Amino acid sequence: MMFKRATPEAIVGHGVQLNDVTFAVEGRNIISALSLDLAEQRVGIVGRNGSGKSTLARLITGLIAPTEGSVLVAGVDVAKDRKRAIQAVGILFQNPDHQIIFPTVEEEIMFGLTQLGESKVVAKAGAAEVLAQFNRSDWAEKSIYTLSQGQRHLVCLMAILVMQPKVIVLDEPYAGLDIPTMRVLNRYLRGLDQQVLHITHDPHSLTDYDRVLWIEEGRVHREGSAADVLLAFESEMIRLGDVDDLAHIPD
Amino acid sequence: MISLTSPIKTPFHKIPAGVKLGLLSLFTASLFLSETLTMHVGAVALTVAFYLIGGVAFAKSGFKMLKPLWPFLAIIMLWHVVTDTTPAGVLITLKLVAAVGMANLVTMTTRLDEMIVVLEWLMTPLRKLGVRTGAVSIAIALVVRFTPVLAQKATYLGQSWKARSPKRAGWRIVAPFALLAIDDAEHVAEALRARGGIRDETGA
Amino acid sequence: MERNLVLVALFAALIAALGLIPRITLGSGIPITAQSMGIMLCGTVLGARRGALAVLLFLGLVALGLPLLAGGRGGLGVFTTPWAGFLFGFPVAAYVTGMVVERVRTGNLNMVAAIASVVGGIGGLYLVAIPYYMIMKPAGLTEALVTAMAPFMPGDLIKAVLAGLITAAIYKARPSAVLSRA
Repeated sequence: MMFKRATPEAIVGHGVQLNDVTFAVEGRNIISALSLDLAEQRVGIVGRNGSGKSTLARLITGLIAPTEGSVLVAGVDVAKDRKRAIQAVGILFQNPDHQIIFPTVEEEIMFGLTQLGESKVVAKAGAAEVLAQFNRSDWAEKSIYTLSQGQRHLVCLMAILVMQPKVIVLDEPYAGLDIPTMRVLNRYLRGLDQQVLHITHDPHSLTDYDRVLWIEEGRVHREGSAADVLLAFESEMIRLGDVDDLAHIPD
Repeated sequence: MISLTSPIKTPFHKIPAGVKLGLLSLFTASLFLSETLTMHVGAVALTVAFYLIGGVAFAKSGFKMLKPLWPFLAIIMLWHVVTDTTPAGVLITLKLVAAVGMANLVTMTTRLDEMIVVLEWLMTPLRKLGVRTGAVSIAIALVVRFTPVLAQKATYLGQSWKARSPKRAGWRIVAPFALLAIDDAEHVAEALRARGGIRDETGA
Repeated sequence: MERNLVLVALFAALIAALGLIPRITLGSGIPITAQSMGIMLCGTVLGARRGALAVLLFLGLVALGLPLLAGGRGGLGVFTTPWAGFLFGFPVAAYVTGMVVERVRTGNLNMVAAIASVVGGIGGLYLVAIPYYMIMKPAGLTEALVTAMAPFMPGDLIKAVLAGLITAAIYKARPSAVLSRA
């Protein structure tokens, strides 16, 4: 991107490392002694509802601190060093309405830049640039309320990209989107230069990923190539569905 | 949602809610009308004794519920010491400990549904006047249902802030939060209408 | 009917949720509980009548034994202190705040809502709370002002300003949602 950063303090590390991470709520382990070293460009994480994958997304983003162990993203301890964490990793939440804080598109995109210490002028230029990249320059003044759900998702993505994080975490980004919107968003996500960690319960969106992990009860149940893991995951999900007993289906 | 009713069963749990509330009103009224130190010490002693009937663990959780009161009592005592009226300060402190302690005791030993029954009974005169009190029960149910939902959404917005800012979430998340509540209200109103809307069983 | 009832209920839940979330921090690092700002917002957003009803419903649930006041407080005990006038003053505060926003239709909403919050959320509130304190404690006027008003005044003024900003932000995002102006 062209606009100049006030904080040149570059983040040089790569990848995501979890070192023996446990996350417990009221004594119950949601994530249990998990160690991961994720260096691939496209990493998929699948699991059922309640498997702990959403908690994992929040740990990797540093939104919650591990009970034990540490999480490093591009070399930054994301739970402790919040200032550099927001330069290292960004997250796209499932529901844009739970993510968008400001009433207009421009304000929402500018927010992250001002939080990185940029002036209003630079933040405005940055927002204009990212809007232009996505051919949405006419959106700047638009009220979020007038946008469709898919368009709001795109605003969230732009608000993250403008901060130029090294890693982007996607937490069920396609939930609730219609098929054309999903395809458009998917095309944008494919084109990203950043390392992407895509968390989902839908195996179909991960078919061309470099590596896939299947999380169950806060642990890695299986991992490997997309083809292997996704096939195993899908057949297990179909089997569970055929058992026809809601007792097996959490949430 | 978790109410303040104590899981530790005491003999007070068995007394009808209406009786407890009536006695509490009498106790509180006489406490506020009395001026003597003996009465106040007696009231505190009675309160402590009642808590101990429920057992030590019960008394402890009752004591914990008084915690928010201490800073206020400290301000009052400070005032009375500074203005050289310490005895009056002691009196008011005892009065408050007894009044709040006894009221908390009723709350801790009465289930939410019993309280709602008393509330409905108290609203009888309103119903006679033609107020649709049936709506109140639905409103109570909605608040109980949606408080944790909204708290969860507020948490999400806080995380969205945190994901992009090194500072703690500011007042700015309150506006989008209120909008989420307004949107929820539209959906819930639709769902209510879809299932017949609000009917008042009294037909008023 | 359904829409009004649900809005009232959801704003009661909103006041409660504002008490459950961690304290928000101002730029200067002063933490404030957002709950009493919720009372002002009930007035500025819902208007006088619905705003006051939402607050009454909230207080009713606190009295029934739900720990909805900031810091997880609740039950009958909170109504038996001399400070309970602050709770009894909440619906009055919301009503007066809402009335001011409904009546003053000119000027920018930010300003009007902030002034309404000062008039209702502070003026209306203390008009109930201070005499109540003087009678129930009992205390003289000076004592009431020093021990029951002074400690909260700075925070309340900040909240009124924020309530104005927030109301304007809601109006900007969704004009139809601000019923006091509908």
